[in-house]
Amino acid sequence: MTNMTDKSIIQARNIEKIYPNGCHALKNVSLDINRGEVVVIIGPSGSGKSTFLRTLNQLETISDGTIHIDEVSLTDRKTNINKVREEVGMVFQSFNLFPHKTALGNVALSPIKVKKKPRAVAEQEGRELLKKVGLAERMNNYPSHLSGGQQQRVAIARALAMHPKIMLFDEPTSALDPEMVGEVLDVMKSLASDGMTMVVVTHEMGFAREVADRVVFMEEGELVFEESPERFFSSDNPRLQRFLGQVL
Amino acid sequence: MEKQPHLLLWKAVFVLIMIGLGFGIYAGSKSIDYTWRWERIPQYIINTEATTVRSPFDGTATIEKGNKLVVTSDYGDDPLVIKKFDNLLVNNGDLVFEGDPLVEVENWNIGPLTWGLVMTLQLSVVSLVFAVVIGLFAGLARISTNPALRYLSVTYIELIRGTPLLVQIFIFYFFIGTVLDLDRFTAGVAALSVFTGAYIAEIVRSGIQSISPGQMEAARSLGMNYVQAMVNVILPQAFKRTLPPMAGQFINLIKDSSLVSVISITDLTKAGREVVSSTFAPFEVWFAVALMYLVLTGALSWAIQRLEKRLSASD
Repeated sequence: MTNMTDKSIIQARNIEKIYPNGCHALKNVSLDINRGEVVVIIGPSGSGKSTFLRTLNQLETISDGTIHIDEVSLTDRKTNINKVREEVGMVFQSFNLFPHKTALGNVALSPIKVKKKPRAVAEQEGRELLKKVGLAERMNNYPSHLSGGQQQRVAIARALAMHPKIMLFDEPTSALDPEMVGEVLDVMKSLASDGMTMVVVTHEMGFAREVADRVVFMEEGELVFEESPERFFSSDNPRLQRFLGQVL
Repeated sequence: MEKQPHLLLWKAVFVLIMIGLGFGIYAGSKSIDYTWRWERIPQYIINTEATTVRSPFDGTATIEKGNKLVVTSDYGDDPLVIKKFDNLLVNNGDLVFEGDPLVEVENWNIGPLTWGLVMTLQLSVVSLVFAVVIGLFAGLARISTNPALRYLSVTYIELIRGTPLLVQIFIFYFFIGTVLDLDRFTAGVAALSVFTGAYIAEIVRSGIQSISPGQMEAARSLGMNYVQAMVNVILPQAFKRTLPPMAGQFINLIKDSSLVSVISITDLTKAGREVVSSTFAPFEVWFAVALMYLVLTGALSWAIQRLEKRLSASD
């Protein structure tokens, strides 16, 4: 287990999320994540893992509890959430690229508009990021002319363009054709080896085993179990066993 | 095998129907014993007839060097000097009396129908700009989470869409116009833009709501605030999607502008009515007016189609 000290870049304590319709999505979830750590969250659909991930950049508000990102409280009314979000990149299941912008336009938009970088600088950085994710040739293509795997890699480059300290991945390969999953996971692996702090919601058990420092299992809004990958996959926790039996 | 449709045949059928319609109109006008006088119409669009300049007083005409006509008054008025003319109607040293023709000046005068067209264009363009601004803000307020903004917007849209434009024009001119001391043009523009703005608001709202919520989330997750996300991500996409219904609304605005003739703005329709009363050629005039409206709306829909094509690069 990791020690919960000031090393943690993400501190989520006693998170409760109750939707207006009464659905209790998160029940007393606490999780601390250290700088440079890769945490993979798995669990059946509807277990609250995506909801939890989305609370970390406040795309989802919480009903109770506290979240600190790099020692900034998200629940404090005085916190400028837009500043926090600059530090926390997010990659979505459905890519959510901006269809009216080219790949390069997608990557450069936020640095230009939010960080007020000169266009030439932002585009130069964008070109380097796209090269890094293997899309140097596709810079001027619109998203509609890119495959799913290519779109997701653009989305990763777009998030990286803000130089975040943390990257959140919300089922980044679930909407992809099987042959494209590998190219996205490869980008994520190289990001992990660069020392990026990553929180990944995924069904890719291979990725969890290979890359994760810690694997978290959620079910019915509760954080059931967290462990290093070796111990996680050999655990005899009955709820985890039941789930792994279904997916593996 | 699928049967090949006879495209050429059906195109021929279309042409035949159009010819038949044209003949029907011709035969119809014959049967009511109407004499078509198309030759009376062009002068109300562009008048090329020479205008005659007449003497304002009794006096003597002298032609000075440089082809300059000077008329000296018998009663000590300031002499009349005409430097540019096309036909001289007096000789050097002629005695002229008040009202006598002096010279003819050939120039192109814009006729009343063209002035009407210009007025319609002015009304439409100014109203359009205001309508888009009003519609954009009302549409954004319509989807706002702030109840005050939302209810204001809903009330505005329902009030305007639920009452006839003609009644609104009267209210704007007679009531609001009197209270705020507005001239006809301002009152007309105000009525048209407030009316069209309500429809544009609904188009804007549906356009924004048609953009997937993931777009807003992605923009916000990159650190953009609500306004930045709207301006850079949502509105450009919504704009493209709403172009076809917007085009329809803009065309409606041009046509609706004909209603402001009821508050004595001499737009194309009112000009048409005036020309009818001086030519007694109502059929020709109204056909000409219809054609002029068609030129305006046709040009607009052509321009918007061009824009749509240009924006389709990212499809």
